[in-house]
Amino acid sequence: MDPFFVIDSFQSLADGVLYGATYALIGLGFTLIFGVMHKINLSYAAASIGGAYASVMVLQSVSAPVFVVFLLAALAGGLIGLLVYFACFHFISPMHPLAMLMATLGMLLFIDEVIVHSTNGIPLSFPALTNESILIGEFYFRGDLIAVFLTACACMAGLLWLLHRTKLGLATRAVAQQPTAARLCGIKVTTVNAQLFIITGLLGGIAGAMIGAAVGVLSPLLALPLTVKGLIVTVIGGLGSVPGAIIAGLVVGGLENLFQFLRGVGERDIYVMFLLFIFLILRPNGLFGSFSARD
Amino acid sequence: MHYQGMTIFASVLAGLTLASPALSSERAIKVAGFGAKSGVVRIFGVNSEAALKAAAEEINASGGVKLGDGTVGKFEITYYDDRCNAEEGISVVRRIATTDAIIGVGPSCSGVAESLFGILQKKVGDASDTGLQFPILTDVAAKIGLASISDWSFRNVPNELAMYDSLFGWVKQQYPDLKTVYGGVESDFAHSNSTFGIMKAQAEAHGFELMGQGDWLLNDTTFSNQVREMRRAQPDIVAISAHSFTTCGALREMERQGVKPKLLIGLTSASTIETIQGCAPQAEGMLIPTGFAPINDEARKAAEQIAAQGGSADIHSAAAYEILFILKDVIETQGVMAQADTVTTDREKMREGLANVKETTGLLGPVTRTDDREAIKPFVFVQVKNGNWEMAHDPSAQ
Repeated sequence: MDPFFVIDSFQSLADGVLYGATYALIGLGFTLIFGVMHKINLSYAAASIGGAYASVMVLQSVSAPVFVVFLLAALAGGLIGLLVYFACFHFISPMHPLAMLMATLGMLLFIDEVIVHSTNGIPLSFPALTNESILIGEFYFRGDLIAVFLTACACMAGLLWLLHRTKLGLATRAVAQQPTAARLCGIKVTTVNAQLFIITGLLGGIAGAMIGAAVGVLSPLLALPLTVKGLIVTVIGGLGSVPGAIIAGLVVGGLENLFQFLRGVGERDIYVMFLLFIFLILRPNGLFGSFSARD
Repeated sequence: MHYQGMTIFASVLAGLTLASPALSSERAIKVAGFGAKSGVVRIFGVNSEAALKAAAEEINASGGVKLGDGTVGKFEITYYDDRCNAEEGISVVRRIATTDAIIGVGPSCSGVAESLFGILQKKVGDASDTGLQFPILTDVAAKIGLASISDWSFRNVPNELAMYDSLFGWVKQQYPDLKTVYGGVESDFAHSNSTFGIMKAQAEAHGFELMGQGDWLLNDTTFSNQVREMRRAQPDIVAISAHSFTTCGALREMERQGVKPKLLIGLTSASTIETIQGCAPQAEGMLIPTGFAPINDEARKAAEQIAAQGGSADIHSAAAYEILFILKDVIETQGVMAQADTVTTDREKMREGLANVKETTGLLGPVTRTDDREAIKPFVFVQVKNGNWEMAHDPSAQ
């Protein structure tokens, strides 16, 4: 047996778990929108990357400290989120959920193509959060990915606080559980939905910036794989479950990298899809999803 | 006043009437460019279109092209987007074949070229073969040996076998202490994968020991597993056959894990502005053979003209620029007419003319054409120095 096998297996798992924090951030947005509106927003990952792109492009013309990139990415993400809401949900009748789904698919391709045409597809360098790594014996842990991991945890905590400790959260949960009753209670459902898209957009902008920082460059190549991974994470975590998205993101990231180490890059995605398939068959509500999400 | 106005009007009318024979003696020579103008490799199409238009403008301004009946022809470029997709590429070329275009220039992606050349007539004159009879001269798609698929397919792309043979030979001479090579390859991209085969073979042919290789995919974002094995191997040289996005990702991971080879070697297609924009500090010292560098007056002039058209001159777009000058020579030699009723004959003449060309003039020097319709182009080695591509060596100067 290769003396490095155990060390490498653990290192692969650890690298993947840390990188899985980026999947978790995207999964959070998917799950939040699904949890409230019972709709899938396929353009979410593309919008997140779009927010990060917008911030970098602004900072190419104006000099500012690095943290401004992340702040601008969040703001741009919130704005794009609002646009996505109006373009793909607000004006489409709830009687046609498939139309909304297709509209978000169209929006994904649209945002991707806007990025491609704005940059000619050229990857843009993105500032790293930190270049430091933690070395423990044979193992090393990337500092920037640890920062992404902590950000994902902070986002989850913030979302849970928002949903359970604020009036907006109460209104959001009311709309999620019974939109008609919520409307009768005087809650403006449209406003709540729009606010939800802004919040998930802000989160998406942070996620896009974190992914840019983790990868080192922004590229339109990121949007589609992140969409797929975000959806897998949402299903495995349980549709609508915030902690589920975080845990599933880490699980998918870790296993994906372990599969790659054990079976090579050519087979890696087969096993990830197989994992999804197993969950869909044996546990369709995911790790934390409840059987009945509505009253 | 009324009389004066009438006189001016009559003079203008007479002038236009007299000028019309001169206008009608010029004819449009329609050339259809095609390549990726959307998606992540859009830059290839943007640069090729700019290069074709820059060359057309230069040729047209210098008196145009002499057609078979003595008429002056002016190039007219139309560029189509194939999205770097094989099906789309085939559809685009079938559409171009219904126009008056006498030749197609493209595509950007080797995967498209490989499929596309398959729909062309394999052997010219074979009545049983109903394949498309339309000449295509490729500027970008660089996977080795593709032109041999059809008698109607030609390429003006660099010969990577000769390039990496020369590169590893030169490295052996310049850095005699370097013995080992570790590879990195974007294994799901046709060009990267085939070029890695060439890199491996040439490295071994020049006495280097290949210690292993790390594989990744075109849109991968993590390289920790591959680089960890690279770190353990402690190679003297790391040779990466990948486009800018994953080249940069791998280089960043190498920096994080402290992998510092004595020499970095890259893929021909990575010798572009994208690599500099994506990861110049990490790519410092990377050595790549390329078919274009602004090292003489012609190359510098072409680079300026391409930039004026909104593109960037590189190994691929320079080939597109050269192509239009090749077409000019072929049109004049073959007596192409460029008329609506001679399209089929003109295409046959273009094919025959291109098949007969033995040497053309490239931006870096003479280009030899082979019997299997490929080009053997002059090349130089460029290296990232202080965040820019600089010429490291000109093999032809030896």
